[in-house]
Order: sequence, then C-alpha cells, then structure tokens
Amino acid sequence: MKELLVLSGKGGTGKTSLTASFVYLAGNCIACDYDVDASNLPILLHPDNAQGQEFSAGLTAVLDQGKCIDCGLCRDLCRFDAISSEYQIMTLSCEGCGFCAEVCPVEAIKMQDRSSGRWFSSTAEINGKTIPLFYAELRPGEENSGKLVAQVKNEARRKGREGGYPLLISDGSPGIGCPVISSLVEANLAVIVTEPSVSGFHDLERVQELLAIRGVSSILVINKADLNPEAADDMEKWAGDNNIPCAGRLPYSRQLADQVSAGRVPVIQKELYELILPVWKKIRATLDGMN
Amino acid sequence: MEIAVASGKGGTGKTLVATCLTRILAEHNPVLIDADVEEPNAGLVIPHQLRRTFPVYRPVPEVDMNNCTLCGKCAELCRFNALVVLPAEVMVFTELCHSCGLCSYVCPEDAINEKDHKIGVIEESVLPGGGQLVTGRLLVGEVQSPPLIKVARETGGQDAQYRLVDCPPGTTCPAIESIRDSDFCILVTEPTLFGAHDLELSLEATRMLGLGTGIIINRWQEDDGEVGKIARDQDIPILERIPYSMELAKSYARGENPLEALPELRGILEKVIEQVKERVG
Repeated sequence: MKELLVLSGKGGTGKTSLTASFVYLAGNCIACDYDVDASNLPILLHPDNAQGQEFSAGLTAVLDQGKCIDCGLCRDLCRFDAISSEYQIMTLSCEGCGFCAEVCPVEAIKMQDRSSGRWFSSTAEINGKTIPLFYAELRPGEENSGKLVAQVKNEARRKGREGGYPLLISDGSPGIGCPVISSLVEANLAVIVTEPSVSGFHDLERVQELLAIRGVSSILVINKADLNPEAADDMEKWAGDNNIPCAGRLPYSRQLADQVSAGRVPVIQKELYELILPVWKKIRATLDGMN
Repeated sequence: MEIAVASGKGGTGKTLVATCLTRILAEHNPVLIDADVEEPNAGLVIPHQLRRTFPVYRPVPEVDMNNCTLCGKCAELCRFNALVVLPAEVMVFTELCHSCGLCSYVCPEDAINEKDHKIGVIEESVLPGGGQLVTGRLLVGEVQSPPLIKVARETGGQDAQYRLVDCPPGTTCPAIESIRDSDFCILVTEPTLFGAHDLELSLEATRMLGLGTGIIINRWQEDDGEVGKIARDQDIPILERIPYSMELAKSYARGENPLEALPELRGILEKVIEQVKERVG
C-alpha cells in the first residue's frame, strides 16, 4: 500500500477540500485525517458506523493535599510551572514527566493515566463505494498529538494491509511541528497544497525543507492561483529549480467554497471535477511511477 | 494589556488581524509577538527592521560514560522513553525528550549533565510606524515548539500598553502556550462548516483557561451561519465582521497594507479595540 499525504505548511490553503476530492477520484483507497487538533475531513466525507476508542498516551500528576507537607520541592523542580503556590496541579501545564512524584518526600503525588482524546474507525459512502475513514479528536489543551497521529496511521495501515487496499490518502496538519513530523513516517509522496501569497510561499519553503530532511518526495498544487499569477509563476519556477513536479494550478473558486459550505466533496460538482481531475491524474501518475 | 489572536482552523486571518491591530495601535508602541513559530508570517506582511537575533535552546541529557554505571535508573524513570540503556552505553533520543530534568536529578553517579539543544531563534525588530515585532522561528525538523513560544512571549516590552500575540492554529500545547497568560483572546474564524467546527474547539480551550474571549468573523458575506449559532449558544460576543473582499485577498497575497486595500477595515478593528478594552476593564 502506498501513502499519499496532503500538507501545506500554511493553514487554510485548501488541504481538506482537495484531500476529499482525491479520495473521491481514487475510489479504492483508505482515507485518514491526521489533523487531530481540528479534524475537518469527516465534515466532507460524512462517516458512518464510527467506532471511537479512548486515546491515553500520557500521565498527569495528582496531589493529595491531605498528605502534602508544604515543602515546596515539587514546585521548585517542576520545569513546566504546573504546580501552583497552593499546590494545585495545573493539568494544562503538566507534561506528565513524574519529576514531582519522584521527589515528593511524603509520596503525596501520584501519576495517573490521562485521556488525551479519541480516535475513530468509520466508513464513508463515496461515489457508490464504501471507503474506510480514520480520524481522531485530541482534547483541547492536550499534548501528544504526534502519538495520536501515529495511532491513527497504524490503525489505517493495518486496515489497508488486511483489506488489500492499494492506497492510503491522508489529510495532514498545518505547520511543520510534532503532528506533521509524525505523519511523515512511511509516507511515499507528499502533495503540498499552497497558495501564491507571501505567506504561502514562505511556509511552502519550510515544509519542503522538512520533507527533504525526512526524505519524503513531494509534488506541488498551487491553489487560488489567480490571487497572484506572477507569484504562482515564481512558485512553479522555484519548484522546477528544486526538482519538485507541479501537478497544476487551481483558481480561487466560488463553487469550491459553496461545495465545502454545504459539506460536499468539491469534485461532485462538474466544473470542479474538470478542474481537479487533471491535477489528480498527475499526482496519481507520479505516485504510480514511484517504487 | 495582552491580546491573543488565535483560531482553531488555519488560514482564517489571524495574522491579518494581529498585524492590522498593531498598525492601528502604532502610536502606543505596541509589541507584536509572532508565536506561530512553525510558520511565522507576521514579518512578511508588516514592514520592520531587524535589530537582534538570538538562539533559543532547551536542555537535553548528555550521559558521561566515564561515570555511568549503567544502573538504568534514568531510563526506568523517563516517561518519554528518551533514554535507552544498552550493554555498553546509554542512548539519548533528543526528539523524545521533554527537557524535564528528572534523569539528571536522579542519576546516583551524577553522570548526566544537561546540554543545550538549539530549537530556534528569536528575531527582535522595530516597526517603523512605532512598536516592536518579536518573531519566534522554529528550526525546521524540531518537534518541541512550546519552549520557544515561551521565550518569544517573554521577549519584547512586558509593560507595553498593548501586546498582541499572533498564535499558531489549533488547540493543543503550542496554541495553549501562546494564549495562556493573555488578558483576552480574539478568535478569528470564517463562516464555514470548518470554521465553526474548529471554533467550538477553541472556545473549549479558552473556557478551560478562564480567558475572556470574543469572535471576529472574517470573509463574512450574508450571514453568520453556524458560527452565529455557536456564539449565541455559548454566549460569546461576535466583536466584528470583516467582509469578504477579493481585493483584500489579492493585496494581502502580495504582502501589501490591508488597511489600504479595504479602507473600512480600520474602523472595524478600531471598534474591536474599544470592545476589548471595555471587556478587560
């Protein structure tokens, strides 16, 4: 099974709209949403039969006020400012390292499992086919987003192996940090969805730098290209100079916004289908040409 | 007063709002902190002059094998599996380390020292119109952004009349680190299903922090849609609406001054400032 990962660096460039479209056009595939902070692929793919599982990767400190002797050692040693002057554990700040529990002279602190979110296995009916869809929801304020991404990826890949699926298409997170780095593991090709703005270009360069460090090949899609056609030209030239193929340009489209507003996969609409299909064909050909 | 400009979804206009507020407040010498250290963009859309750059490090363990007895206590206690004891050495996985310092503290032989591991830089600039820009820039490939965000927030005039924080998208640790000590949080959203879904998550985060919160709807067209319903249900004020404008989108893409592309934007954001001042008191 090959994995196609959709990234962007900058948020809001159209990752999720295009990922849903690619899933529709690919047909026989598994779909996955790694944006565990703000999972939006299910809004377009409308999952059925969602089975949720608790995700608990870390720990949190719990302090027994009755035992505490006010020595202050835990507070002095905690590097995350997670213990207040009144010895309240601030769960949002606690990293679960267990330093406080280890040093407490009266064993007033215990480490407890902390549920950080949930991940879901589901199916989506797309163009007459039943497609497995995996996604997750990290609780606000939680960390371990990288571990949750890894969990979702492992589940999706297992399903892929068992069902003999040829392709996994995944929607990544914005940025270049923890969840993005985790999503790169075993990815064959990254589609970078960018926009021709000063911010889009800057963020594209950073995400490409990360992909190069991690040895993941990439292909570019310039979305909202008519926002600034000259900048789109510059991006294509930059891609050429860096040996990154360009799958095409897509215009800033009212129809696409309308489709997304209605919670529909963009390519269901004829004009969008005609715009996005050639882009998908190039991506598919690039992916198929890879070992 | 410190105002965090945040959003669950990326690309809703956080940087647009934060930089325009900074431009409008120029006479008060505001401090703008770009805490979106993975993809810092504020400096691309507001003119500034770089004055100073300094590196930011986080501590990671280094095991002195001359003193190490391979007792294994460090690896046993590390909750992040960042240390592995092998027959003749201790391996450190820097990426997994959270810099808590426990290993070095518990080592019975004092064989673990912490060394500096560079995670990014802080760029301090002056804004020609008045004020400062502090940009945190994560090194590409680094996993841990919260320590860098913390330093960015500690840089720049702490007693400035207005501090603005341009936050990373999302609701997990980097976003929380950016907004936790602010006086007020402006959530910038868009009237789409994605915007509404991610707004709900952001509101959950600001509620947990007990942080005063208001909403700006960007790219507003005819109605507030699902966002309006969420705001009503949760009793969160919609501070203002920025109308959809192709002219603004095109000019912003070129990095030009948005206050010129959409002249009414100044008035809209001045009203936002008034409302935030009233709410913070």
